[in-house]
Amino acid sequence: MEAVVVADELQRSYGDAVALAGVSLSIGRGEVFALIGPNGAGKTTLVRALTGTTVPDGGSASVLGNSPERVDRDRLGVLPQDFSPPDRLTARELLAYYAGLYEDPRDPDAVLADVGLADAGDTWYENLSGGQQRRVCVGTTLVNDPDVLVLDEPTTGIDPAGRRTVWRLVESLADAGTTVLLTTHDMAEAQRLGDRVGLLADGELIAVGTPAELVATHAGSSRLTVELATPDADTGAGAEPATATPVDPATFADLEHPVDVRTRAGASTVVVREISPSEIGTVVAFLDERGIEYTGLTWAEPDLEDVYLALADDAEAARTTRAGADVGATAVEREAAGDGEGKKRGRGSQ
Amino acid sequence: MSRLSRLRSEVSADWRSFVRRRTAVFFTFFFPVILIVIFGALVRTDPGSSGGGGLFAEPPGYYVPGYLAVVVLFTPLSRMGSEVARHREGNRFEKLATTPLTRGEWLLAQTVVNAAIIGLASLLILGLVVALTGAEIAFSPLLVPYVLVGVVCFCGIGAMLGSYTDSQDGAIAASNAIGLPLLFLSETFVTTEQLPGWFEPLMNLSPLTYFARGVRAATFPEAGIDELAGLEPALGNLLVLTILAVGFFALGAWSIPRTD
Repeated sequence: MEAVVVADELQRSYGDAVALAGVSLSIGRGEVFALIGPNGAGKTTLVRALTGTTVPDGGSASVLGNSPERVDRDRLGVLPQDFSPPDRLTARELLAYYAGLYEDPRDPDAVLADVGLADAGDTWYENLSGGQQRRVCVGTTLVNDPDVLVLDEPTTGIDPAGRRTVWRLVESLADAGTTVLLTTHDMAEAQRLGDRVGLLADGELIAVGTPAELVATHAGSSRLTVELATPDADTGAGAEPATATPVDPATFADLEHPVDVRTRAGASTVVVREISPSEIGTVVAFLDERGIEYTGLTWAEPDLEDVYLALADDAEAARTTRAGADVGATAVEREAAGDGEGKKRGRGSQ
Repeated sequence: MSRLSRLRSEVSADWRSFVRRRTAVFFTFFFPVILIVIFGALVRTDPGSSGGGGLFAEPPGYYVPGYLAVVVLFTPLSRMGSEVARHREGNRFEKLATTPLTRGEWLLAQTVVNAAIIGLASLLILGLVVALTGAEIAFSPLLVPYVLVGVVCFCGIGAMLGSYTDSQDGAIAASNAIGLPLLFLSETFVTTEQLPGWFEPLMNLSPLTYFARGVRAATFPEAGIDELAGLEPALGNLLVLTILAVGFFALGAWSIPRTD
């Protein structure tokens, strides 16, 4: 696949803060590359380095075969993060304004229809809802029918229906050969749109692959979470507050699946791993046979959010001032998410 | 052709954005009007006291460049300063940097809009000065290039102010801090004779001085402005102002942020 966007060992620091610590990636024609990562991971800096709006300290980048500063602007569409266009223009006027900056622009009304705002064309930007405003902003990147589209958090603030409109739009553009780089905090968005997903943390691209590859590698297995019933709280005057007695993991030794047990804040949770939906009945029967009461059963297939939690939470935990406590909590959450790391570190089970 | 269409698009958007801010439109025109009413109609000039010093001791026609300078100086400084800051805060420059529009084209478009606004305000000022103060002035065609070149010059300076301050508030404060001394120390309302002798070379550093001297030479010949660079004062001062305008415009365009 022809590489359209290339980053080679990109580095960028702001004072002592390292935003990019040697990031390399390559995005092919018609590919959608979704960039995920915690706040401050360097996503926007990477976007800026690839669009020529920041100068990297080291490394190089190319877009459509040219350096980002020299790329043909008529072939590039960029939506910056926190972009706020002139607010006393109507949605149609705004699109016409940006369209007028290009050599061979599209009809603004067609773009309005693309972003699902055909009926809001005559409304001033400042009077549109936050989600509609963001859709107009997405529209400003489409007025020149770009070959490369860079969207920094395009669906922030957009309602679910509007988000799907934008998703379908991005999919159709990619199908037509447009190369798309997008950043997002919405894992469902990354999973649905990304042909490949890259996870950036602390300025480093720590994982890249198709969503399926990342999930298979980092997210662990499917899991059934059983919330056990809590003992009655009121046991009489002067009694101790209800605290769950730690559940003995050996209780579940006969189950034919790996099991983790966690008791926390008066509630016990049993996580049964590597279990298919058709096997849930065996677990229910197991609980009933032993008289173990439960209040909830939740089955989940691992997804990109589990990948994110497994990989990016380490960086988040390292940053927090309550590192010790949070690492513990993180391990528990990771455990609940189906990752073996927490257990390996000996923090997961009690 | 495409450059023209980019300019047209930017000018159209800027003009609509401006005229839809009613308070901005109102005060853009109200500011010079209130100054004329206060100083021209209420305080009034007093040529008879010229021997004894004091402000407004010259005939009304002498102060026409000062009234025009209020809009030619302040409007571009404050509008450009806050516009650049607003663009920066809304990541608009980051967006524009990824379009074919250049920084120079953006500033030129802003300058065109400012020129239209200030041209209208200048007509209003000239009419009011004549009507309210009875100023006897010559309506020289040179007024048009003076206003245009002055706007170009101060739009460039305003763009620099907006680029080097960190907020809209900062840009407006800076434009006031720079504009007010320039307005009163550039031979607009205060004559050279009223200032210490050592200050005169400093006045020559102000672009507004050449605007004031040139406009005065063109509209109020009785003022007896000296020749400049061997040219008639109206042309010589326009030449110097043009050179300064080109320089400040280039610096202003260069200072507009294109990267973070």
